[in-house]
Amino acid sequence: MKHLLVVVALGLSLISLNGFATPSYKVTVNGMVCSFCAQGIEKKMKALSETKGVYVELKNHLVVVEAKEGSNISQDVIKKIIKDAGYEVKSIEVSEHPIEHIKSGMDK
Amino acid sequence: MFTYNFRLWVIALILLPSRLVFSAPMGFEGSTMTMADFNQNWREVGFNYAITSRDALGLTHLEFRSDDHKDKREVDTLNYTRLLSRWNLTDAQSNLWLFMGLGEIRGSIDNQNIDSKVIASSGFQFDYETRRVYFATTHKLYRASNLNHDTTSIRAGFSFYEADYDQTQPWFILETKYTNQISDKIEVIPMLRLINKNIFVEGGVNNSGQPRLNLMYTF
Repeated sequence: MKHLLVVVALGLSLISLNGFATPSYKVTVNGMVCSFCAQGIEKKMKALSETKGVYVELKNHLVVVEAKEGSNISQDVIKKIIKDAGYEVKSIEVSEHPIEHIKSGMDK
Repeated sequence: MFTYNFRLWVIALILLPSRLVFSAPMGFEGSTMTMADFNQNWREVGFNYAITSRDALGLTHLEFRSDDHKDKREVDTLNYTRLLSRWNLTDAQSNLWLFMGLGEIRGSIDNQNIDSKVIASSGFQFDYETRRVYFATTHKLYRASNLNHDTTSIRAGFSFYEADYDQTQPWFILETKYTNQISDKIEVIPMLRLINKNIFVEGGVNNSGQPRLNLMYTF
């Protein structure tokens, strides 16, 4: 019976963790053609206290920003950073997957 | 913060002895871009601090001389760079830049020293870039009393392959350049350009057989 309770508790905690899964923001950016010019986006996104990681993919014009656990990042803040860096946001999509998952191409 | 950045810039200035007609003449807001350009008859070092995403202030020290080495100039200017317009397309970006500068010019003509003079500079650059092709044309006025060292440059090139953000991207760039009252020649320089995030390096040999090195670093 004790074992059953432990298993149930573990299961509930996993479900609970999943419930707190943090979002990643997949931002499609126009004009982002060169790493020398796009580095400002990465630096400014990383400077946000809510940011866990940033991934930039020039090929698909993509900037992915992963929030820290329990955090959210305002889409208006993301749009402002990219606009201030000199680029144009085409779209923002919220994904429940972390950067590594998106990098691997499984988030399509 | 400024002190730390300033120290880094000084180190870069010392390490990178080297015509600042680069792809993007300023970095992102709050960044400092150091730039150096060096060949046998031209040495230029400078930096820009981006006070906004469209405006930068900086300093440049420039030394150049004629092919026979009889005419020499040294120019120090305080510069203002403004991104006048930017066009962001899905696979391309294009920019129109404004340059303005004010400073001092000194040197010699036919080995005779000339008095120090106030020099004013202004210019425009238009560029277009995709992940595979690059084009830029720049015209800068360098004017002082009885001196006109206006400079015109055209650069075009292609990338050997499409690199992604974390990869080093190699480019072939061909530049043609002419500077008034210092040389009758149009300089032609094929160069290899390497870009990796905040590091930008170009090197080549011009039509007079002189090597050239351009460097940029943003922090």
